[in-house]
Amino acid sequence: MDGDEVNIRMENLLKVFKEDTREIVALKGFSLDVVDGELVCLLGPSGCGKTTVLRIAAGLETKSGGHVSVSGEEVSGAGPNRGVVFQEFALFPWRTVRKNIEFGLEIKKMSADEREAISSKYIDLVNLEGFENVHPQKLSGGMKQRVGIARALANDPAVLLMDEPFGALDAQTRNLMQKELLRIWSATKKTVLFVTHSVDEAVFLADRIVVMTARPGMVKKIISVALPRPRERTSADFITIRSEVLQVLEAEFKKTMMREMSDGGVEHKA
Amino acid sequence: MKSIVRLARGVMSRNWRRVLLGGLSIAVFIGAWQAYSWYLNANDYGYAAYIPYPGEVAEAFLDSFVTTDATGLLMMDHIFASLKRIFLGFTLAFVIALPAGLLMGSYQTSEGLGMPIVEIFRPIPPLAWIPIFLVVLGHLWGPVAIVFFGIFFPILFNVMLGVKRVDPILIDAAKTLGAGRQHIFFKVVLPFTTPYLMTGIKVGLGIGWMCIVAAEMVGQYGGGVGYYIWAMNEFSLYDYVFAGIAVIAILGILTTGVAGQIERRLYIWMGMK
Repeated sequence: MDGDEVNIRMENLLKVFKEDTREIVALKGFSLDVVDGELVCLLGPSGCGKTTVLRIAAGLETKSGGHVSVSGEEVSGAGPNRGVVFQEFALFPWRTVRKNIEFGLEIKKMSADEREAISSKYIDLVNLEGFENVHPQKLSGGMKQRVGIARALANDPAVLLMDEPFGALDAQTRNLMQKELLRIWSATKKTVLFVTHSVDEAVFLADRIVVMTARPGMVKKIISVALPRPRERTSADFITIRSEVLQVLEAEFKKTMMREMSDGGVEHKA
Repeated sequence: MKSIVRLARGVMSRNWRRVLLGGLSIAVFIGAWQAYSWYLNANDYGYAAYIPYPGEVAEAFLDSFVTTDATGLLMMDHIFASLKRIFLGFTLAFVIALPAGLLMGSYQTSEGLGMPIVEIFRPIPPLAWIPIFLVVLGHLWGPVAIVFFGIFFPILFNVMLGVKRVDPILIDAAKTLGAGRQHIFFKVVLPFTTPYLMTGIKVGLGIGWMCIVAAEMVGQYGGGVGYYIWAMNEFSLYDYVFAGIAVIAILGILTTGVAGQIERRLYIWMGMK
């Protein structure tokens, strides 16, 4: 079993945004290793830079310092070995479900037969049979994200980067999609980095939960969730871990709030 | 099977309704026209006002297709003369406005270079060019240039708008799926912009028809439906004037219809529908 190989390695990441004349340090000294086949949740207060971490790993955002490598290759720019699932779904509205899933395969210049075989496989995997020729606007939020997941997986990436993928869904659909993700994850054995602001979601999904500090974002604490799956949200163990994570987070939420209040004060003076 | 029958019946009854209402609408219009003509032509207002009756116009309409007019042309000749000018003006406008719009929507440098010129020419009504263009470019290319100006800006601005509205998250998604710059252009920006382009074309064609008729009226040479209307007016053949107007209405409807068909085919071909 190659389960202990590091797949995503992030070392000492630095990210500085320039806003007019001000420099905002979004990330500073952020380091994290994600092991092959692992499901890691990035959790933190809003504005802590968790999405920035994911976008840097995806190659959609440049870094100001540090290193990121995926499967041993240094990340420079976006590439098909890292599949990304977006909160906004980001489906191509002029393409059918099947054509959305085949987008990356077209770029790889696969033949129509090969493409169809692969897209059919992933349509089955995410349970979208019968919707192959439907356009995204006719789908519900949950179904849209199924397409998003299938589209990312069709490229057979080394890792799956998910940016609050269920954030736009209602609570019921969200719970269902979490279960679906675990099913798909165990079927594909992909390494998953999953950004969320929901403690509940993180405890339900993750092998490990990485709690980030308020800005500048770095790793505050890593909490392993050793509960067997499927997890029961109402079980005593679940609740124990959930409150442990909440405690770590709460201190950071307070810092964010304090900062926002002081920022507000500065604005009043200006 | 039953459901298919019910569906077919539903579609039929809806179509019947449309045909019935459409027919009623046109019948009321023609009736009002007939009444107005009666009323006006029965009273002497002391000037040569004459409104031809719908029947007379229909006769003149049919006659214009089989009998040559004072210039020795048939209506079809005039139609082709106008269509040729529209086609040339449209093609030129399309060929230049589409790439220009794509560039100006994509790059700030192109926009910075292009916008001042655009802003100088845009507020000028295309018809204002008639005197210059007819003299400088003659009776074919003069009206073509006027049509060009009418069609160019709607296409340019709609394409620019389309390119600017491309959702950045779609470009991000394409990148993560392995798309390079060319892929992003052909597989994301272009399909996203197509509906905007079609809007530009439809608006442009409408303006193009207005331009061509006006340019031909002033042009006085080389045929064209606008020329025909003006010539018939000079001869006080009002029923033929109305026939010419009817031809323009029909051509306008046909142009819009063809543009709509092309749009639909295009979307089907692109997999949008």
